[in-house]
Amino acid sequence: MSNRQERRKAREEGASDTNRFNQILILVAVLGIGAVGWSVSSSMLGTAVAEPIEVEGLDDMATLAEVAQGTTRGDPDAPFTIIEFGDYQCPGCGGFALTVKPGVDQAFIDTGIAKFVFYDFPLPMHPHAFLAARAARCAGDQDKYWEYHDQLFRNQVNWSGRVDPVSAFLGYGEAISLEQDTFERCLKSEQHAEVVSANIVLGQALGVTGTPTILVEKDGDLRPLMTNSLAAIEEAIQLMTPASEPTGN
Amino acid sequence: MSESGSDQPDAPTLGPPMNRMAIAVLALAGFFVALYLFAHNIGLTGPIVCGVGDCGTVQASPYAKIGPIPVSLVGVLGYVALFSASFLGIQPGRRASAPIGAFLFLSSLGGVSYSGYLTFLEAYVINAWCQYCVISAIIMVLIFSASLPELRHMGRRAS
Repeated sequence: MSNRQERRKAREEGASDTNRFNQILILVAVLGIGAVGWSVSSSMLGTAVAEPIEVEGLDDMATLAEVAQGTTRGDPDAPFTIIEFGDYQCPGCGGFALTVKPGVDQAFIDTGIAKFVFYDFPLPMHPHAFLAARAARCAGDQDKYWEYHDQLFRNQVNWSGRVDPVSAFLGYGEAISLEQDTFERCLKSEQHAEVVSANIVLGQALGVTGTPTILVEKDGDLRPLMTNSLAAIEEAIQLMTPASEPTGN
Repeated sequence: MSESGSDQPDAPTLGPPMNRMAIAVLALAGFFVALYLFAHNIGLTGPIVCGVGDCGTVQASPYAKIGPIPVSLVGVLGYVALFSASFLGIQPGRRASAPIGAFLFLSSLGGVSYSGYLTFLEAYVINAWCQYCVISAIIMVLIFSASLPELRHMGRRAS
């Protein structure tokens, strides 16, 4: 084979290598873009309702009382009701849930003196609070509302600054062994948007302007607390207890 | 198959160096693995799809970030650099480029060392495995292996 023919053959082999390389590169790029794109779009394209929705008829108090629903912990027949209007993205609510609430549970809920009712009150300044409230209710559909409620507050700093907290919310569901498909379908829908929106209207009707707002109720007597401390709750319960009845403390 | 075995300008018949083509393909694959983890880190995906292992634990560990920067972002940028350099290194006129060869060898040495450290953390500190991190570590080992011929050429140049 002549020198010229050898060079020609080498050139052809080089061109063939380059063609094969380009084909492999394009294949890897298409597969990579497809896989990552599918993963992102399948998360982003969910129709998760993350803002309050318009619910008709809430200006009528009877309708509002019917649609708005808190989530109750403790003995439903307990004489006192401790009510919180809370926002999962609010640091104050996080502080209350982690530092005050365990004491409230121990002193009043576990002893049957009071039941605790949490009403969602996601504030407009917190972009993920409405979705978080819905997520907790989706967990509630699987009887794990309070476990999820605690997860949200414990991990508040981890999800509240995210662009999209959906993956974090799904992760917390996984951590408490929720049935993931059902939970994800609920989260990426408009389920519970109506009740959370109604709870906001109820809070506004009761004069709630910030979170956490704690109220103590007995026999229709509803008292908002000036401070969100265990001592303030204890004092309210004592004040609302007739002298002959013990408060259990 | 031909390699960048010379410091001279490309001979007219010199084909693209096979090792650099391999690095480019591997770096592109590694880029998408790191991009997927980064997309998860910034909340753009659902839970990490894990058949085996425990990616959630690894990604939630303090070792998944260097200060405020996710390790996955470091991976994305590293693979972009490796892909760019290797792609440049197969263009006519640069197939024998020693600086590109040195960059490929040294950056893949850094990459494989860091991957080794992360794999050690998964095995002995976090006690959980993320298969995407393992895939990335394997890709880095392959890239490092493909960069070894560059070392030979660098040695020739030094002598």
